[in-house]
Amino acid sequence: MNIVKKLIHFDKGLLLESGSKLDSFDLMVETYGELNEDKSNAILVCHAFSGNHHAAGLDPETNQVGWWDQIIGPKKAIDTEKYFVVCSNNLGGCSGSSGPTSVNPDTGKVYGKDFPAISVMDWVNAQKLLSDFLQIKKWHLVTGGSLGGMQALQWAISFPDNLLKCGVFAAAAKSSTQNIAMNEVSRESIRKDVNFFDGNYIEHNTKPKNGLKAARMLGHITYLSEKHMDVKFGRKFQNTDSKVSGNVDYEVENYLQYKGEKFSDSFDANSYILMTKAMDSYDASADTNGNLEKAMSVIKCRLLIIGFDSDWLYPPQRGKDIQLAGMKANVSCTYVILPGEQGHDSFLFSADKYDVIINTFIESQ
Amino acid sequence: MSISLTNIINDWIPNQSKVIDFGCGDGSLLKELIDTKKIHGYGVEIDSKKIQECIVKGLSVIQQDIDDGFEEFESSNFDISIMASSIQCLKDPHLALRRMLKLSNKCVVTLPNLGYWRCRADLVFGKMPVTPNLPSSWYETDNLHLCTINDFEKLCEDEGFIIDKKIFLNPDRDQSLLASISPNLFASEGVYLLGSK
Repeated sequence: MNIVKKLIHFDKGLLLESGSKLDSFDLMVETYGELNEDKSNAILVCHAFSGNHHAAGLDPETNQVGWWDQIIGPKKAIDTEKYFVVCSNNLGGCSGSSGPTSVNPDTGKVYGKDFPAISVMDWVNAQKLLSDFLQIKKWHLVTGGSLGGMQALQWAISFPDNLLKCGVFAAAAKSSTQNIAMNEVSRESIRKDVNFFDGNYIEHNTKPKNGLKAARMLGHITYLSEKHMDVKFGRKFQNTDSKVSGNVDYEVENYLQYKGEKFSDSFDANSYILMTKAMDSYDASADTNGNLEKAMSVIKCRLLIIGFDSDWLYPPQRGKDIQLAGMKANVSCTYVILPGEQGHDSFLFSADKYDVIINTFIESQ
Repeated sequence: MSISLTNIINDWIPNQSKVIDFGCGDGSLLKELIDTKKIHGYGVEIDSKKIQECIVKGLSVIQQDIDDGFEEFESSNFDISIMASSIQCLKDPHLALRRMLKLSNKCVVTLPNLGYWRCRADLVFGKMPVTPNLPSSWYETDNLHLCTINDFEKLCEDEGFIIDKKIFLNPDRDQSLLASISPNLFASEGVYLLGSK
């Protein structure tokens, strides 16, 4: 598979939903496969909260497999021998695109907490500039799961003429009260870390690692289902040789400690706060007084909405709400609820449950 | 060769109407209605495999168990709802019919007739009917509430459903003279267009 990774600089300013403006910005982008002559085989993949541009294949630098490698690749559900797949790190992220860890061209200093607030709409607008740059007028498909699914849905609403199909996985037209509540606990644990320094930790040459770790540990619980955790870990005690710390008794503790630690090494705390805020603020019906049907009435593409029965973070009913509004608005839309044992994470790890359906959707008339 | 259901109900479905097909299966009927009548169609189906076939045809489907109710569709302004050969599989057929007439002005219902002479003959000989319209054996069938043409029309009367149109078919899906003279005995299937008072 032909993987191309590049940093693209945009010097055309981007007016953000908050009213702030980014005079210029960078997007870290990966592409897989080849764009055909009439540029009709392009698929845009939008990443979820802590994902990045590396969606498929093996990154030779980090030795990491892409987050949606299960379905993107040669002969896979999103077949890179037929389609040109694009994934960019979202603005405000910390994997190469402009974000809190990049240098503010106006001041010459790292943005830190001063990076402007970003919304799902801003991401979609930035991705539109990316498609203009790539000269892609109409995506064959825009898709993603969770926060990535929100971007896909927003694409269908914001740029109805620029996509043919839209795949929304384990997502919602707006974050729920419970989503916001969970995110606030995460943010609070970061803020209360002694090394947070009100977001200016880079100036103090430190990182609020403990807070970020606790935030991620909570996050992981919300991504899994009760049953899956029970099956995976049960009440098994952690083997003494592989304990990450002396305080750990059970396997599940060890797992969360390990995952949290790993995440806090690589992710930026200001980015975490910014991303969760973007997630909280998303409401596809914000411009139509809460009327989702009205917001969706502009949609011209076909929509495939997939929910997973064990997902309690973005329960399948949230996907069904999109479907019901779509039906009222005469949108071509299909809603499927799938058995995914892994809770919200099913969209990442239960690809065997949906690869045929997404492939069928891509290839259908 | 049997005539497709589209040909039978074609005149009942106005051009460009908004249609919902309950138990749409692989979507053949919806697809035909889209091609011939330019309808705006949605299907309701529980089986993922069948939904996949609908996706291949480019159709819109919602995955749902009809027995769970469908009040959520009521504000979608459907003109016509269709329930082809599945009313007898539902837990509460009479409630489903009431709900269908609440979400659309008209509804098309087709049902196998247990009063059909071959069913009666099977019963006379002491066995559960197996006919072209009721192909499954008793232990494999999805049918919970089989009825005769007379039973169904009595239900419509009791519930206040208006029978706007009806067609009776023989197993070849033809309108035979016998089936129209004495449907309860000679029709293997009834096709109805219902409205409410």
